[in-house]
Amino acid sequence: MPPTDVDPARLAIFDSLVSSIAEEMGAALRHTALSPNIKERADFSCAVFDHDGQLLAQAAHIPVHLGAMPESVRAVERLAPWRPGDLAILNDPFLGGTHLPDVTMVSPVFAHDAAEGDEPMGYVASRAHQADIGGMAPGSMPVARELIQEGLVIPPIRLYRGGELVEEAMSLILRNVRTPDERRGDFNAQIAAQRLGAQRLADLQDEYGADRYQQTTGALLDYGERLTRAYLRELPHGSWSFEDVLDDDGHEPDPVPIRLSLTLSEDRAHFDFSGSAPQRAASINAVAPVTRSACYYVIRCLLPPDTPMNSGLFRPITFTLPERSVVAAQSPVAVAAGNVETSQRIVDTVWGAFAQVLPEQMPAASSGTMNNLTAGGVDPRNGQPWAYYETSGGGLGGGPSGPGLDAAHSHMTNTLNTPAEALELAYPLRVIENSIRARSSGAGAHRGGHGLTRRTQFLAPAQVTIISERRRQQPWGASGGLPGRAGRNSLERPAEGRRRSRGNLPGKVTIDVQAGEIIRLDTPGGGGWGAPESR
Amino acid sequence: MPHTSATDDDSPQEQLLGVDVGGTFTDFVYVRGGQVRIAKRPSTPDDPGRAIADALIEFGWSPEEVIHGSTVATNTLLTRTGANVALITTMGFRDTLAIGRQARPDLYALHPQRRDPLVTRARRFEVDERIAADGSVVTPIAVDEVDRVLDRVERSGARSIAICFLFSFINPEHEALAAERARARGFAVSASYEVLPQHREFERMSTTTANAYLAPVMTSYLDALEARLDDICGQGVRLRIMQSNGGSLSASSAGRNAVRTVISGPAGGVAGAFAAAEGDRYSNAITFDMGGTSADVALCPGRLLERTDLLVDDMPIRTPAVDLHTVGAGGGSIAWFDAGGALRVGPQSAGADPGPAAYGRGRLPTVTDAHVVLGRLRPEQQLGGIVSLDVERARNAIATIAEPFGSVEAAAQAVIDVVNANMARALRVISVERGYDPARFSLVAFGGAGPLHACDLADAVGIPHVLIPSAPGVLSAAGMLIADITRDAERGLHLAIEPADSGRVRRLDEAFDIVAQQAREAVAEDGYQDGVTIEYAADLRYRGQSHELTVRLPGARDAAAVRKAFHAAHSERFGFSSHETPVEVVIARAKARHAGYQGAVGAEHESNAGGSTTEQVIWDRSRATTVAHRGSISSAIEGPAILTQVDTTVTVPPGWSAELLASGSLLLQRTNQGSS
Repeated sequence: MPPTDVDPARLAIFDSLVSSIAEEMGAALRHTALSPNIKERADFSCAVFDHDGQLLAQAAHIPVHLGAMPESVRAVERLAPWRPGDLAILNDPFLGGTHLPDVTMVSPVFAHDAAEGDEPMGYVASRAHQADIGGMAPGSMPVARELIQEGLVIPPIRLYRGGELVEEAMSLILRNVRTPDERRGDFNAQIAAQRLGAQRLADLQDEYGADRYQQTTGALLDYGERLTRAYLRELPHGSWSFEDVLDDDGHEPDPVPIRLSLTLSEDRAHFDFSGSAPQRAASINAVAPVTRSACYYVIRCLLPPDTPMNSGLFRPITFTLPERSVVAAQSPVAVAAGNVETSQRIVDTVWGAFAQVLPEQMPAASSGTMNNLTAGGVDPRNGQPWAYYETSGGGLGGGPSGPGLDAAHSHMTNTLNTPAEALELAYPLRVIENSIRARSSGAGAHRGGHGLTRRTQFLAPAQVTIISERRRQQPWGASGGLPGRAGRNSLERPAEGRRRSRGNLPGKVTIDVQAGEIIRLDTPGGGGWGAPESR
Repeated sequence: MPHTSATDDDSPQEQLLGVDVGGTFTDFVYVRGGQVRIAKRPSTPDDPGRAIADALIEFGWSPEEVIHGSTVATNTLLTRTGANVALITTMGFRDTLAIGRQARPDLYALHPQRRDPLVTRARRFEVDERIAADGSVVTPIAVDEVDRVLDRVERSGARSIAICFLFSFINPEHEALAAERARARGFAVSASYEVLPQHREFERMSTTTANAYLAPVMTSYLDALEARLDDICGQGVRLRIMQSNGGSLSASSAGRNAVRTVISGPAGGVAGAFAAAEGDRYSNAITFDMGGTSADVALCPGRLLERTDLLVDDMPIRTPAVDLHTVGAGGGSIAWFDAGGALRVGPQSAGADPGPAAYGRGRLPTVTDAHVVLGRLRPEQQLGGIVSLDVERARNAIATIAEPFGSVEAAAQAVIDVVNANMARALRVISVERGYDPARFSLVAFGGAGPLHACDLADAVGIPHVLIPSAPGVLSAAGMLIADITRDAERGLHLAIEPADSGRVRRLDEAFDIVAQQAREAVAEDGYQDGVTIEYAADLRYRGQSHELTVRLPGARDAAAVRKAFHAAHSERFGFSSHETPVEVVIARAKARHAGYQGAVGAEHESNAGGSTTEQVIWDRSRATTVAHRGSISSAIEGPAILTQVDTTVTVPPGWSAELLASGSLLLQRTNQGSS
């Protein structure tokens, strides 16, 4: 069925309809979830697929989920044949997941008039970052070496069979997490979103009729493909290389290189990561779907605003990912930081390659880290255990049209900060300072953004884990701009001078903190764009 | 000349004027002893009050009270023409205004940008003081330090100050002291514990700063307008301003609370549309206002809903506003093909200049041009009496995108289909996504283009009825007139109600007493002491949640009643409740309300204008279509039909019928389920 059978208005309307389904799922998930990480920080995505597992629409708040959701649908194929009312759950990074806290549910969708033995007409999926999924540290993002240390690993299994909850599966999962009631609530929110999405997708097919529906989904994917090809056709052809590095893996001090050779030809793009570091016995390993998401994210930034999101967009893009490398990790290594930190460095690497292709368009490197801070202990006010997770922004890269934003999240995340007033009401913490870090930006014709200084005082003893990057390597400048300042982690003790404490903590660390002590994060500034003297 | 219509309302000889100052037109609805007069005049953006003064003189009106929807606050924010403001805050937090919640506005922007905050860093000052989450003082405030900071503020050139200290919503001592010192030195002061006493420092700081930025501009605008009204109508005309939440307040209060008026005009539209629907006994209404560049939709389940998460130019404004959602879809929205070959409509708009091709200056194909090609906008019509329509020009514009569709008419229909899909998505967001079934609502359409699209949208989302109020072109001005006089007061609390608690809760009672008193005093200040009712509400959540629901508390306000109301609201919105979890009271609210104008404000349509004809108008297929002036229909008519009136055009598609209600509203209903 050639796409020309679907007129240009029908394409836009159909895209609007399937996108509505993904958005409705997202609204249901956000409204019914219990944990602040889903409700307040919107750390989740919902997506709709065709019968073949091709992504038709995605409501994404988190770019790292971009290319990774279709892998989940592929990973559950092993559970076929499906029945109406089945629902699969997984978080295994090596089987359709990204890192363990991201728990994904996938439901096959059947037509309303499906007969016994019919195949699914499509799938819906939701992925939400669960605040804890067990393992050696609260929040399930420790400085680990093996996946098993990071939390409970769930391979693709059925959580519902023909509409009936598989109780054994649920109880096994809940027994392995720190806050089972909250988890059950968040799972229920995901299940509700799945049901809603499945219902709406079946309704949509019903409205269109099976033949016309299939014809239109095919046309939608072809349309996505045309959008990317039309863009790539305008770019110069050739090969460009770029290398960037992670500071270290949290255990060994040597940097971890990521290398890319980008080839643009006619209307295609090929990303070859050969030469990137082998995977480490550490958590900085990214699984292949995370690497692909990072590349898709950059392509999506280059495409026009309001570009719809479907698998067709990514058909003209191909990859070479070296096996058992830091960009395509395989069992049994840990991966938590691969999702939050290495993903940022992969973006920087791709960004750096495109900065050579499009020097007049691409901004310099942004801060390149999410500055992850997890803390937990016992609250002296009520004797209850508490756990807190925060990510902090930094400077964005300066670009051709102006300076970079100060103290903002960049690239693969965009979650909100926790207000000091909300934080202090909830935890035995006090925010002493939340300011723009002066003189941290890279100079340039357009300077980078400044980083952030955040000082948090602990009012009770706590265990703190910091996973951060760009503490040694600086975010680079572009088109002659200078690099932004590297970040710095400090533990301020009241007895010692503040000056003495500067930078006394490494980039990735777990420490015990006493009452009255202050953790200070100075996050990296963005690189400058254009030679500074040309201002 | 304005239209005149007599209504059977025989309220006393009140003389009231509702005025909505829009970007293009200033609309007037004048009532005098039940007589309603309606007029439209071009706006005078350089001096918005001039259009009002001119109309008063031209029509010889002498209102006792003028209720005014104003774009002054919005425009001042968007064009950044407010006062020079300084911010004074807690040590360590002056950059909070710039950092915000650290998110970038657009996830996939290659080079994300956002506007600078309203106060530059050089005018953001810190005081070494700190209050803890429980309200206790960690670092006491020093008066001499405050005075030194005020010296620096003075040297910075700022005359308006926003003060926002951490946890002032729990313990306002420090903020009150700083505010008092600043006021004593003649500064205009917006203190956060007065503007928005609730937690989340960035949102409170943003709202307070916006108020400090707007208040001087608003005050001088209103002073000048009052002086002008006094000149024309004699002393003592009461001037009231529409607030964002659909209630009005006195001009003097509006000056100090300028931030409460940022969506004043659209709020009047929602209030007017909802009142019209209620008058016709359709109190579950979704209002739909489509103009030249955008469409606004609001869901009213038997009342005006309020939201407190408004963003204006990416700035959070947390004071209550009507629950309005805007899509970039209007008559001027431009149709184009993207690189993948899909037809897209908007968000670019031809705006007022050059406007749609049919208006004679533009060349790009717009939604309005599509309607002209399909014969739904009539060349003999003069939109708002201002422009005539050039059919040939509209056809030429649509012809530029017609190739894949086979004909200019098919292309025009495609443009309408795509823009309808965009708007239907917004309707789903405000209804289905929040648990409301559109089948239980009616769609109230107004604005120049709303009634052209209403039935198609109703079909797309499953709404059974469409109402077109009698004067859809001046509905905002009518809304101003009938809006209640309201004042809100709120207070942050953070009080847990345990599942076992029953009976009165002392801290809650105290908080409600305080906010009720504040709200009552505020309306008294505005001149209303009698006939004032107090409505209570609270922002509640389950312990551990981070989002609150605003829940009305019409009856008892003891522990059991509060819990019960919250469980019910949570179930309704999210499908479940959690009876064993403590309920937290985050904010206690009171609204003092005095009823607005009670009479009808509809317009009657001249019944002898034209008569009806039958023409070939292109629908999805060519069909014989009735074309009639709205005033000429007496009994129900079947679609397809096109009903024209001076300020809008109503389309009645095949499968729909239209009838005139006693109120003057048109009721459109689906006649058979099968047709679309």
